[in-house]
Amino acid sequence: MALNRRDFTVGALTGLAALSGMTVAVRAQGSKTIAVLFDGLYSEFWVAGIQIIREDLKKRGFEIMEAISDQDDNKQFEQVRAAIARKVDGIIIVQTDSNAVIPAIRAANEADIPMVHFNRPPAPSDAFSVAIQADNQKISRDAVTYSCEVAKASGKKHKAAILIGDLGDPNAIQRRDGFQEAVDQYPDVIEVVAKIPTEWNADTAFAGLTNALQANPDISFLFTSSDFLIPQIQQALKTADKWHPVGNENHVIFTGFDGFPDAYALMKDGYMDACGVQNLFYETELAIQAILDLQEGKKVDKLLLDPGFAITQQNIEEKKEEMWGYVLWKEKNPG
Amino acid sequence: MTAVPPAHIAQSAIPRSGMGRLLKLVLSEYFILVLCLLYVAGIYPFVPEILTWGVWSNILGDMMPLLVVAIGQTFVLIVAGIDLSITAIISMAAVVGASVMTGTGGYLSGSAAAVPIAILVMLLVGVGIGFINGMSIVWLNMPSFIVTLATRMFFAGAAIWFVTFHSTSSSIADLPRSFSNFSTGSFSGIPYTVLVVGMIAVVAHVFLSRTRYGRWIYAVGANPKAARVSGIPVERTIMMAFLISGACASVAAMIYAARMQTGSPIAGENILLDVIGAVVIGGTSLFGGKGKIIWTVFGVLFLVILDTSMKLLGASLFAIYIIKGSVILLAAMMDTLRNRILAER
Repeated sequence: MALNRRDFTVGALTGLAALSGMTVAVRAQGSKTIAVLFDGLYSEFWVAGIQIIREDLKKRGFEIMEAISDQDDNKQFEQVRAAIARKVDGIIIVQTDSNAVIPAIRAANEADIPMVHFNRPPAPSDAFSVAIQADNQKISRDAVTYSCEVAKASGKKHKAAILIGDLGDPNAIQRRDGFQEAVDQYPDVIEVVAKIPTEWNADTAFAGLTNALQANPDISFLFTSSDFLIPQIQQALKTADKWHPVGNENHVIFTGFDGFPDAYALMKDGYMDACGVQNLFYETELAIQAILDLQEGKKVDKLLLDPGFAITQQNIEEKKEEMWGYVLWKEKNPG
Repeated sequence: MTAVPPAHIAQSAIPRSGMGRLLKLVLSEYFILVLCLLYVAGIYPFVPEILTWGVWSNILGDMMPLLVVAIGQTFVLIVAGIDLSITAIISMAAVVGASVMTGTGGYLSGSAAAVPIAILVMLLVGVGIGFINGMSIVWLNMPSFIVTLATRMFFAGAAIWFVTFHSTSSSIADLPRSFSNFSTGSFSGIPYTVLVVGMIAVVAHVFLSRTRYGRWIYAVGANPKAARVSGIPVERTIMMAFLISGACASVAAMIYAARMQTGSPIAGENILLDVIGAVVIGGTSLFGGKGKIIWTVFGVLFLVILDTSMKLLGASLFAIYIIKGSVILLAAMMDTLRNRILAER
């Protein structure tokens, strides 16, 4: 070998000696650190969510250790272990898979570090963590029920399609169930002809909806499990000549979920009939408060619900100030 | 045939001046290990935790799945091939194995034989996909890049499809505790994963450096025509490399499934760049005929240290990708440069 043992040993010892003599960089002493671990920033909801959490934590004097796992459960597990090694004081996490996050919760439990799941609960297990979640089923049921009433008032029977999220995400399942509960109340008005799996992927959603519209050109009722798919939906409906505002004969009764700025804009312009809104401000407040309470040793329930609400063409003026998407939209469109 | 690392040949030709010592270091097979030490020294003031036992325990644990896949990839790269299907093998093996042993409707749910049979099935999945790869390359004379790209796409999709028949969610959970213990348990303080992957590494090292088959691998990678003329069974050698790669990927699937206590169809989906990067950083040539298991160990170690330090720093994912990409590019450039220097001497 080119480097003999003596050279290597001398080099290694020199390196270690240099290392031991180095001055340790001074970190903000005395301040607490919260790890904020998201699985991705795939939509405005998550971008706004992490931004609000970041600002709130900074305001309270916390240091933040941020990481994104890019929907890689193993990478996120490694990030949790890195956070534990750094002795953080709490972990706010958004996992991809509700089952695969359980070892990470157990690791946090062993290290006695409180963990809070933001907006996405884990699968049931004996590990302890707190989940903040919107009451997805109720919110989507309320929003879709409004749209069903609109459909009923039209006096016609409507063929419906639903864009379903990733089935590994309990939120997606609950939104689907809320939709189903609502349409089941109107069997004479709504017939569900397409259940389109999206896996929370915009391309998959676009392809699925395009295929569904080709197979069922008379689809006139649509529910999306997330507003982040709005651009793809708009494109697919435009291509099928179905993108028309309320009042137009070819208007597709459209219900969204999340409360994105785009959803508000569509509500305002009459393209969307109703939208289930998650109260993002309330959820971030709940998440941070849960971490603080757990740090103080207070008892916190495993699930903290955001009741959310449905914003509709009827109550938009009254409710819009509570819609996080409206707040962001207003910032971008002053005056 | 370049079974012996070229650095050996060049040693005597390098002058013992300061520049010569630096050159000797760059050409040395310990270069990446020295880089690891220098990197740890450099990052220490910013992340003092990097020198704690807890972090090194994490580094060791995080290395194991990557290392075992990288060992398989080393065999393939030495025969001048590439295996892009490793991530799909991991996904497929993880979900198939999980479907056998899961406590929620598994084929052998509750049976004492569930875990051993699931392990066997996972190995068979890996070897089976490796066989499809090898067969297509050897018998149909297709480039390994295209074959493994196709099998990667096919089995990545098949894994997701497979889960839809075995779970109401996007993964298969409720794996037996005896299986999960593989990632958490230890023997005499040494984690099981380290023992298993360590043994695989030793066997692979001996296999490559001390057996006739090992010499065949280097010969086929360096010059397949010359190897064939010399009487080496080129096809069988290439096939064996892909079978080994498949088997190694299935071991990684076991580690991931045990670690996450879940069989996920996206397990290991993002590690391809890390695996190839680690092998190349170590010094194994992308052009075949050159490589060592110990180099791969160093390459994986370097990449995992880099990754861990970035996590401890709280660097954004984009920054981590940019830094990793730069390091891998640098390693590939250095590989080319080293070869050029050695050729000139």
